[in-house]
Amino acid sequence: MAVCLQPAGYRDTLSAEGQQTLEERAMAGSSIGRRKIVQAALYGGTGLALSGALSGAWAAEQVSFADIGVGDPGGDWSRYTKATGGDTVNLVSIGNAPSAILNVLIAGGGTKTYDLINIVGGMQKPLVENGLIEPIDTARLPNWAKDSYIAQYLKPGTPGFDFIGYDGKIYGVPTVLQGDSFAYLPEATGPLDSYGALFDAKWKGYVALEDNYTTAGQKTALYLKASKQASIGDPANLTPAEMKTVVDFLIAKKKEGQFRTIWSSFEQAVNLIVSKEVKVIDCWEPMVFVAKSKGVDAVYAAPKEGYLLWAMAAYLVKNPGRSPARTKAAYALLDFMLGGWYGATITDLRGYMTNPEAPAYARQHPGEFPAAKAERIAAIDAGVKKKFQQGGTWQQRWPTAVDAYEAEWARFKAA
Amino acid sequence: MSRAHERVAVWTRHGLLALPIAFVAVFLVAPLLFSIAIGFWQRVGFRVQPAFRLDAYAEFFGSVRLLVLERGLIVAAEATAIGLLLAYPVAYFLVFRVTRSAARVVLALFTLPFLVNYIIRTFSWSWLLSRTGPVNKALATTGLTHAPVDWLLYSDFAVLLGLVTSTMPFMIFPIYLALMGLDRRLLEASWTLGASPARSFLRVTLPLSLSGVFAALVFGFTGAFGDSAVPIILGGPGYQLMGNAITSTLDVLNYPLSAAMSSVVVAVMLLLLLCWYLAFDLQSFLGKMLRWRF
Repeated sequence: MAVCLQPAGYRDTLSAEGQQTLEERAMAGSSIGRRKIVQAALYGGTGLALSGALSGAWAAEQVSFADIGVGDPGGDWSRYTKATGGDTVNLVSIGNAPSAILNVLIAGGGTKTYDLINIVGGMQKPLVENGLIEPIDTARLPNWAKDSYIAQYLKPGTPGFDFIGYDGKIYGVPTVLQGDSFAYLPEATGPLDSYGALFDAKWKGYVALEDNYTTAGQKTALYLKASKQASIGDPANLTPAEMKTVVDFLIAKKKEGQFRTIWSSFEQAVNLIVSKEVKVIDCWEPMVFVAKSKGVDAVYAAPKEGYLLWAMAAYLVKNPGRSPARTKAAYALLDFMLGGWYGATITDLRGYMTNPEAPAYARQHPGEFPAAKAERIAAIDAGVKKKFQQGGTWQQRWPTAVDAYEAEWARFKAA
Repeated sequence: MSRAHERVAVWTRHGLLALPIAFVAVFLVAPLLFSIAIGFWQRVGFRVQPAFRLDAYAEFFGSVRLLVLERGLIVAAEATAIGLLLAYPVAYFLVFRVTRSAARVVLALFTLPFLVNYIIRTFSWSWLLSRTGPVNKALATTGLTHAPVDWLLYSDFAVLLGLVTSTMPFMIFPIYLALMGLDRRLLEASWTLGASPARSFLRVTLPLSLSGVFAALVFGFTGAFGDSAVPIILGGPGYQLMGNAITSTLDVLNYPLSAAMSSVVVAVMLLLLLCWYLAFDLQSFLGKMLRWRF
């Protein structure tokens, strides 16, 4: 059975942190701690006994981790607990919609409840300007520098940086990266390689879109720009007039009966594919994995126009009342999430690329990741890398004209 | 009873009444008033600040969102009417045509769907009505259709079906209770005096069960009008009712607009309730009208 559960560097770092934590805890000297120290002295304790009393007296931290359902490694946080000497994770479900996040944090008092929130990135502007998250000190994350994907895809000055940074500072730790396109049933449509399939009259009444202006709307903009059907500057940040052009196009298609429905949940999209209710669907790649696991031959397209690229970010919630020990535990969790085991597990469970250590870790630990699983993880990683190489447009979660996006999308839905 | 005892009884009564009144005031009236106020507030960045502006109302009444309100009212009215047409005969049958124990069993059966999660129940409709679902398969097998019937799902029909099936059981119970409380001697008197069953129903049973019908209408209409899952799961592309439209504005933190929309919805509902109350309170008038016609 494999004993080494984390890469050596990771384990060493946490060991060093663990020592430091004990010293800090001794300095803090809670009443319980003092009682234990006195007891140890009374029992003629040595330095070892004193140390034991200290560690026993110190309650482990529990990091409150709000997640949209992607960052849960099957409920197994044991490696994190082991590495931190007892800290645990309280996983809480949170919605991914901007309103859900902001309302929970602003109105729901979430800043006092949650330590970390792991959502699709790009939400820094509203989160920072509302004082809800704090900058990440990457020096406290030993795995940060090892993650070449950050330097490669999310570096400052690139659109990818908007998923983790704001105003020159880092606010999010990237947990997954992905490029979205659309799916189709090849037996019904043959091979498809353009978003134009979503609007092709051949599939009239057999197309579904996602109910999301920053995904379906942006993909449509990407298509209209690439096919030169509309004058669009940046599909990732449309002006109100450009968004109106996109929605006018969608409304025309809707009135022609192009769309069967607009889905708004994972299960709904999977059902549409599995039941073959639609032949072409704007969706997420894991939905195709699920459909395939149910025996449906679905393909996630490689569109010539490129992908809708995005990354998930784990944000450190701003809470001045949080103890240094809890903050340390939160940082340890962020670093753990940049590690090989966590990355491999999330890639395996969710089908997204995570960090460069994930495929190697999976291959090197056959006891935890059997060969077939390790190869699948490597294939997913390679596939997403290829998407990033091809490019496309980065999803813009909070566009400059976000109100216009929402109003125009409401017009599309009501038409 | 002595004066002291009377005073105690009065205070006890007031004390007992104060509890629900305080509950409603704190948890219903106060948030509602707050919501109405926010509708006039001003957006400053991501937050709102007190002001008296009509921007949100202007935006609502000047946009397609008003069409959503109109559609919501029509669909809710249709679902309520269909629900009533189904619920009344069911309740009537259970009261007058079957034994008390059989009625209890049937009523219990009507509560069974509520043991299943509402979203799952709605999703099950999408499976049943899909192009490859059991209903279309049955239609094809029996030779009634040669191609899948598209309008069964993701259509106005599917929305109506979803709304009726989710609200209709709520409508049966108040009508059942009203009919159960009906004094049977009045029906016997009507029969003795030579009235036909139809006439007895129209002049005795129906007027005396109107209180139950009123409650059923309120249950049905508010349930259908406030629904937000059925339109998303069963409606056509982009189908939305007011709940969905309000949620959409919250996505961009447009609190004044969402509050304005909510306030208009509440105002419309209160107006409708007032109209119904007045209409159903005029039972004597209705009775006269029925007498005149029959």
